[in-house]
Amino acid sequence: MSTLTLREAPPERLDFLSISPLALSGLTQAEAERLEIGTSRRGVKLGDCFAVSLDGSDSLTIEGGHERLDRVGASLSGGTIRVVGDVGQRLGAGMASGTLTVTGHAGPYAGSGATGGTITIEGDAGDYAGGAVYAAKAGLDGATLIVRGRAGAHCGDRMRRGLILVGQAGAHAGARMIAGTIAALEVGDLPGYGMRRGTLVTGKHGTLSPTFVETGSHDLVFLRLLGKHLRAVSEAHAALLDRPLRRYSGDLATLAKGEIWVAG
Amino acid sequence: MPAWVKGAATDIDAAIAAAADLLGAARMPVIAGLNAEVSAIRAAFDLAGRVGASLDTDGAAGTYAELGALARVGAMTSTPAEAVGRADAVLVLGSAPAKSELLGRIEAGAPTRGRAAGATRAILALDGANEGGVLPALARLRAHFRGHLADESPTAVLASKLAAAQYVVVLYDPAEIGEMGVETVQGLVIDLNDRTRAFSLAVSGGHRNQDRAVVPVSAWTTGQAPRVGLGRKVPEHDPWRFDAARQVAAGEADAALWLSSLPAPRPDWLGQVPSVALVGEASPDAAEVVIAVGVPGRDVGGVLWNETRGALTYWPAQTGGSAPADLPSAASVLGRLTNRLAARSGTAC
Repeated sequence: MSTLTLREAPPERLDFLSISPLALSGLTQAEAERLEIGTSRRGVKLGDCFAVSLDGSDSLTIEGGHERLDRVGASLSGGTIRVVGDVGQRLGAGMASGTLTVTGHAGPYAGSGATGGTITIEGDAGDYAGGAVYAAKAGLDGATLIVRGRAGAHCGDRMRRGLILVGQAGAHAGARMIAGTIAALEVGDLPGYGMRRGTLVTGKHGTLSPTFVETGSHDLVFLRLLGKHLRAVSEAHAALLDRPLRRYSGDLATLAKGEIWVAG
Repeated sequence: MPAWVKGAATDIDAAIAAAADLLGAARMPVIAGLNAEVSAIRAAFDLAGRVGASLDTDGAAGTYAELGALARVGAMTSTPAEAVGRADAVLVLGSAPAKSELLGRIEAGAPTRGRAAGATRAILALDGANEGGVLPALARLRAHFRGHLADESPTAVLASKLAAAQYVVVLYDPAEIGEMGVETVQGLVIDLNDRTRAFSLAVSGGHRNQDRAVVPVSAWTTGQAPRVGLGRKVPEHDPWRFDAARQVAAGEADAALWLSSLPAPRPDWLGQVPSVALVGEASPDAAEVVIAVGVPGRDVGGVLWNETRGALTYWPAQTGGSAPADLPSAASVLGRLTNRLAARSGTAC
């Protein structure tokens, strides 16, 4: 297992796009230490901020995170990255496969555009977790994003495929969803605003837009399958699907093929 | 020429030298405001390239609400002159458009051109006061257009009035309704165009700025929208990372240049980092280094966004009367600052 150990708080935001187990596996220690990760005109090299220890394996541990570590695991195509601490924005953005775990908190846009793999945030996530960045076609796009704590506003904004499992999400969770599934113990105001398709399962919600209409309680095979799927990740979320569920259909302002399931 | 360093009056050369020291020593400077004429905005981009700064604008919240929706769903827009000349139904969203002078012109007249010529003009309002905000109200209106909701509510009446009109213009302030609101407005306009003619028109509410000039300058200079950073020598566009208020609050920015040759309120964060202010209305305590520059259209000529015409137009300096004198243009001060930094080997990039 390769390890990067943070020596001190970075003086500027760092860009970890080029730091992955695959990229490091072909490098010597000296070459890895010279990798440019800074974002200002002064620049920072990997070795300036981190003690580097490489063994060529497909797993990488970042000991000591920081909220200035941007794009950790972005475009990851395989292997495992574990961060002990916090990370900045765009955690696992555009990731295609592999496993990404953060023990602390993550900044905004976690899992944006990720097409595969699993991202786990044990603390809280910022705004737009699983949401789309500026001008991107879609947010989460097939990966699995797990936020054990709270997520900020716009969780799953414009997500297209995949699963987001979150403790509490802020306002506008699942806004403008194209498709996919969000399971949350609680969401804030106007969940699913402008959603086209997709499924949002929640235990509790804030104000619902008037463009969602209740379509009754249903006992669907799909819900039991979803519950079984969620049970492997979170017992609390799976338990939502054991309760009677009311279905709201919307957003009627758009295609209206989305649904919000509220556990009674 | 009024210039101050740490509150003490000085000449402009000393102030430019102090500003160059301040910006040249910084790791991550920000250039914010950009509330200025086009030549000054261009000079600010040159300076940002020189010192590896990032840029942010005074009205970025509204600008990005508009651009984000444009990137996703496109836009059908009209101009103020078309709205005044042709619209027989104007839908005013929220409260901000009431502060624009355009609404006064629209209310004063009736359509004189096009398919609605001679008709009376209806001013309709949707403020969402009874529906929990503009966003739910907009969604509900659009659901009525799509035929997904049908009832006898005021929203249904509004929907039928709009559909019966010949030429509809929807007035909104993007900073007030946000990206999701703008997206719903554009969807509404698309739906309305199935039955009649409809367009959207963004107006700035109380907070005026030159963002509509910054966006094209930024696009032709960097290929990106305004919030770009040049720390890595290529323009990187990132609306979250290069939010100047966030950068200062997070301790990432260690110097700031506030450019506002048009008078605008200073942001609170400016005092939290060593800063340079190039301002039309100068006061000695505005920043560590303050240089008074000419106000475009009053002291100096300059190209500004003309909200009345919906275009960039040249505003000459006023002659005689109250025109005070001999203030340098913001572009010339920025140019001298850039040259001074370029001449220093240690800070050239």
